[in-house]
Amino acid sequence: MRAFLDSIGYAHWILSVLLLLPMAGVALVLLAPARWARWLTLVVAIAEFVLALGLWWAFDPDNGGMQFAATLTWLPELGISYRVGLDGLSLFMILLATAMMPLLVWGSWFAIDQKVRGYYALLLALKTGMIGVFISLDLFLFYCFWELLLIPMYFLIGTWGSSNRLYAATKFVVYTFAGSILMLVAIITMVTIVARGTGETSFAYDHLVRHRDLLAPYAPWLFSAFALAFAVKVPIFPFHTWLPDAHVEAPTAGSVDLAVILLKMGTYGFLRFAIPFFPAFALSRPVAAVFVALAVIGIVYAALVSMVQPDLKKLIAYSSVSHLGFVMLGIWGGTVASVQGAIIVMIAHGISTGALFFLVGMLYERRHTRLLADYGGLARVAPKLATAFVITAFASIGLPGLNGFIGEFLVLLGSFGRFPVAVGIATSAVVFSAAYLLVAVQRVFFNPITHPENQDLKDATPRELAVLVPLVVAMVWMGLYPQPILRRTEAAARRYVETVRPYLPAAPTVGEAR
Amino acid sequence: MPIDLLSPSGVTLALLPAVLLSTWSLVVLLVVAWRHGTEADSRLAGWLSVVGVIGAAAATLWLWRSGAESAGQPHMVYLDPYRFVSELLILFIAGATCLLSLRFLGKQRLLAPEYYVLVLFATIGMQLMVASSDFILLFIGLEVMSISVYVLAGFDRFRRSSAEAALKYFLVGAFASAFLLYGIALVYGATGQTNYVLIGAQFAGSDTSLLARMGLALLLVGFGFKAAAVPFHMWAPDVYDGAPTPIAGFMATGVKTAAFVALVRVLADAFPAFTGLWQPIIAVLAVASMLVGNVVALAQGSLKRMLAYSSIAHAGYLLVGVWTATDLGRAAVLLYLIAYSITSLAAFGIITAVERVGSRTVMLEDVEGFFRVRPWGALSMGVCLLSLLGFPGTFGFIGKWYLMSAAIDRNQLLLAVVMGLGSLLSLGYYLPVVMAMTMKPERTPDAHRQVLFSRAAKAIVAVAVIANLLFGVWPRKVVDLARSAAAHMSAQVAERPSGDR
Repeated sequence: MRAFLDSIGYAHWILSVLLLLPMAGVALVLLAPARWARWLTLVVAIAEFVLALGLWWAFDPDNGGMQFAATLTWLPELGISYRVGLDGLSLFMILLATAMMPLLVWGSWFAIDQKVRGYYALLLALKTGMIGVFISLDLFLFYCFWELLLIPMYFLIGTWGSSNRLYAATKFVVYTFAGSILMLVAIITMVTIVARGTGETSFAYDHLVRHRDLLAPYAPWLFSAFALAFAVKVPIFPFHTWLPDAHVEAPTAGSVDLAVILLKMGTYGFLRFAIPFFPAFALSRPVAAVFVALAVIGIVYAALVSMVQPDLKKLIAYSSVSHLGFVMLGIWGGTVASVQGAIIVMIAHGISTGALFFLVGMLYERRHTRLLADYGGLARVAPKLATAFVITAFASIGLPGLNGFIGEFLVLLGSFGRFPVAVGIATSAVVFSAAYLLVAVQRVFFNPITHPENQDLKDATPRELAVLVPLVVAMVWMGLYPQPILRRTEAAARRYVETVRPYLPAAPTVGEAR
Repeated sequence: MPIDLLSPSGVTLALLPAVLLSTWSLVVLLVVAWRHGTEADSRLAGWLSVVGVIGAAAATLWLWRSGAESAGQPHMVYLDPYRFVSELLILFIAGATCLLSLRFLGKQRLLAPEYYVLVLFATIGMQLMVASSDFILLFIGLEVMSISVYVLAGFDRFRRSSAEAALKYFLVGAFASAFLLYGIALVYGATGQTNYVLIGAQFAGSDTSLLARMGLALLLVGFGFKAAAVPFHMWAPDVYDGAPTPIAGFMATGVKTAAFVALVRVLADAFPAFTGLWQPIIAVLAVASMLVGNVVALAQGSLKRMLAYSSIAHAGYLLVGVWTATDLGRAAVLLYLIAYSITSLAAFGIITAVERVGSRTVMLEDVEGFFRVRPWGALSMGVCLLSLLGFPGTFGFIGKWYLMSAAIDRNQLLLAVVMGLGSLLSLGYYLPVVMAMTMKPERTPDAHRQVLFSRAAKAIVAVAVIANLLFGVWPRKVVDLARSAAAHMSAQVAERPSGDR
């Protein structure tokens, strides 16, 4: 496989093609008649996925640096270039984003029946933005993609969302824009400082990381600006309030994209930019304490809030906040295990929460309600849906043998040396997450059927199975045989840890930690 | 090609675009003296004006391409790329205004072809303002522009709000002119000169006299009025709202461009020795404009008023560039003027098209459901608003980013942060327009029946939108243009013999 890929020069063009293909798809969908829209999108999505799949083999797991790099000059006088590349961290984000794409189209097949062209065009535009964020190695480019993502998401929520969509769409944009506008100031400031020190104006990621010592005196301000942008996106408690609204109001595909990719952009930003640029400040004890504390609060608080949600979608939205807390904990854990764990949680959460949102979407299409109280006993009438839901819920809870377990376990293991108390509290949250998801499963699928409408609910159609089966297979596969993923993320995690290790304060032993 | 600015023929040549346009506008005036009455006559005058503007633009390009430069002593007129670029921008604005007005005047029954002649006169004034290197010429240009625009603001003479706009603009503008003139007089008193460069040379050696400082302060007040910077902005919303919509667009872009280019020139050439004095003033004006403009715009229901306040905020952004007093900053001002003008013109153009017969204001509710009826119009408006907001992928972002870079380059983080906050605030009023257009249903089934996009207006809006997206993604050419214009300007300053004459 690798030989074949090499023979077609795969490494040289793949990232740019992945970036441009959805854009071409947008044009195609807009120009073609409306009834072709979903077919065209499906074709583009599958093509995109097949192309991206080559990365799995072409990727060199022993190389912790950037692969598939490509550079084109853009604005040379101003130090701006089109620079893209990919490492073990972004690899899986790209694979996840492209793999989700056909599922999103299948998932929206009948649910979206108006303004079809616009919908699929926006879905494709969103994909370009996501891929752009994860492969940009130039901060100007990164910022452009980061912001551009807002527009398709805004319209997806605002146009195809449910009743309170206008509020949710506005809130989403305002929160994210508020977070990132200061990041723009910080990026320009960084480049200016580095340009003064080195005489070279450049927005290149490598250049800035290499000269990060020049940034050290200004690190508190610059890091705060970056951290705010990423914290809103993750979202870290207390910046999370946009998320439940956006998730609940968004159409299914929007929720899935939010959960699978958009939230990961925040944690990705910490791993790729915020911490490597300012390691000494970011990992210093007080700052680390703040972030770990917020992560743990997020884990526990969101789990507790989930327990009392009457709305299934909101429940899952809060569970996302909880899971992302684990990622934050792992990032600050600063060991190879914890960082790798964080990456795995990002992937696993993408798959299982994505699947949960798909399932909720399917239930909603049948009954037009998301309230737990309106369901009950569905396992009898819709056994396939019930099976998929139960497996996914278990994966989300972190049952060993399914994908949720490995990541959280690695995070807790890897962070224990540094933050034993935090790990102790976070572990307890696993119990809560079991509680809220199992209760939800019980109320939706197992209690007696109290609503006559549920009596003759349709079970999963073949189209829906086409969405669910790949996800369930991925959960089981990742849970039983995570080695290929671990192997491909290890070098990136190791490289990250090596970058930051000199700046880590000495780890306290377990006894001192109080 | 060296031009001797001491000879009358040399000056005429250097001002060729303005001379040509003046002559042509008299021709148009003669034509409309005989033909005024029907809509066709009005359109004829409009097209004639466009022809004149194109001729003037060709003359500007010819001067620029032929490498015209002044020989010998500095004199009344600049001959450098900064002038040519801004002059071309002004001519574009004038041409676009004429084209946007073609059908509008018929639709609103404002059939007096003198309208176009006044637009041309105002344009001549703006041309003189950006070309002048002498306070006398600056003042002449300013007055020619202002008086024409006073009349244009009140052109809708059957409406009270238009009359109010004209009177208000006239009174405030007369005050501003008086301030400016008084400032010029004081500076003249201190130096005995009216030429920017010679004034600058006089100040370079000596200490700064009180007279000159007062003169500078009064000049800043005058410019503040014309540029609609807070606290000299009170006239702008009422005037923009009352004036015919294309004229509001003309004022928001043309007048602003002329005022800012002249301000940059005056500060760079006449008052470099006073940087310590005017920089804090400009900084305060900038912060106040950005905050007040954006905050008050949030509360507006009328789109014209909203754009008026947003233009105040944009004046604040531009002042950040003026503040820097560097090449980078001057380049950023020019770049942002181009981006802002193109975008703002298109936005006003779309509002012109949406405006209902007799209503003369466009409220936020009036554009609800616009996307469904006029998808391209709504998309264009969306692009323009995103560009004004400074969203990546649009020209406005490049401009804003460049202004921020210029401020940060001078270690002025505060201004950059306020600019960021300003953009955030502006999200609060640009976004509802997008939302109303795309996500809300029409109020009534025939809500958009009166939308009238003439072909000319469509062309202008299309050019603006394409330029926005093109320069948003590939800004290299236009950034280079602005940079080289600014570099050329400061190179001239460096070449000058200082002090002696």
